[in-house]
Amino acid sequence: MTELDKIEYTPVSVREVLTEMKDLSEIMIDLAYSAALFNNRDLAEEVLELEKRVDYLAYILDMNAMLAARDADDAESLIGVTKVAAATDKISDAAADIATIVLQEIGVHPVVREAFQKVEEHLARAEVKSDSMFVKKSLGELELAARIGVDLIAIRRGKRWIINPDEEEVIREGDVLFARGAAQGIDELKELAEGSCGRSTEEG
Amino acid sequence: MQVQKPFKQIASKLASLKDTSELMIDLSYSSLLLNSRELAEEVQELEKHVDKLHTEFELLVLSSGFKPEDSKDFLGLIRLGIVAEEIADAAAEIADVILKVSEPHPILKQVIREAEETVARVRVPRNSSLVRKRLRDAEIAEETGMWVLVIRRGKRWLRPRPNTVIKAGDVLIASGYAEGVEDLKRLVSGSSESE
Repeated sequence: MTELDKIEYTPVSVREVLTEMKDLSEIMIDLAYSAALFNNRDLAEEVLELEKRVDYLAYILDMNAMLAARDADDAESLIGVTKVAAATDKISDAAADIATIVLQEIGVHPVVREAFQKVEEHLARAEVKSDSMFVKKSLGELELAARIGVDLIAIRRGKRWIINPDEEEVIREGDVLFARGAAQGIDELKELAEGSCGRSTEEG
Repeated sequence: MQVQKPFKQIASKLASLKDTSELMIDLSYSSLLLNSRELAEEVQELEKHVDKLHTEFELLVLSSGFKPEDSKDFLGLIRLGIVAEEIADAAAEIADVILKVSEPHPILKQVIREAEETVARVRVPRNSSLVRKRLRDAEIAEETGMWVLVIRRGKRWLRPRPNTVIKAGDVLIASGYAEGVEDLKRLVSGSSESE
């Protein structure tokens, strides 16, 4: 272990950290299964990045919970918080294990993958390029669900993750969008995000 | 033909493992939010069920008669099964907090509420317009902004699917913004005769 890996105590709100851990772990499961069932390395790599973040948060949360306990009553009540955080961390580890199946090129048997692809909604990742129509638009303006039938579940902006972004969220160049929906909608989203929409599909 | 049959079984067993483990996560968080021993115990029951499913799944994979050159593809399947079981274990640990800790810290409720806004339980009355409708056609999310997490039918917990048909007596557990709760109650209790 190098010096860089050491985690220092930072005072944070336990509530905020646990909320982030829960949100991230849930999205990780979605991303990881999609990575495995659609054999998508990009998604798998995102999962491993997220796993590092959740690990870090787990340490910070435990340190803060330890300092918050002043007596036996506190300890009895806080143990639930650290247990839930540990379980959340375990869920994110499980997601990382799924991602590893893809990254180590072990793969899931193609016949089984096909069976899943028929029933699972597609989940994909699209990077917003500078000439995309998405840039500087809010999600409320874009109405992606109504227009192309995809549900935007998260945005990654550099190292920061915005889970279940709200209507006011404005898309920036370089954002990575994670969306769920039918295959056709997902393809359309990718085209629009990459700005390659010469053939504009202007339907009601 | 002979090749297809084991795959069909393997895929469907894997689907139930995956679905059950994900349902368990939803239920375990709901058990914390509602401080419900009943839900927490249900999660423990499901955990045993997953153990059983997992063994059946592994036996199916191992007995499928794969060729050495396909072993990687099958290893991937085995790993997915293990992961589903890990997720189920984690969910059981979350639910365990409700069973073991006398007064769970208020932070836990806040966290779940913040992440999912709120959770509501609504029973579908016999005369509800939703009875015998498929979930897809019930348009609950569109009408109320509430998302059905799970359906309790008698002793069973169903993970909602677009094709799931709603029955009288079902209890819908849904999450969404607080404003949606009243809309949900109204939608569910609305009788098929009125308007």
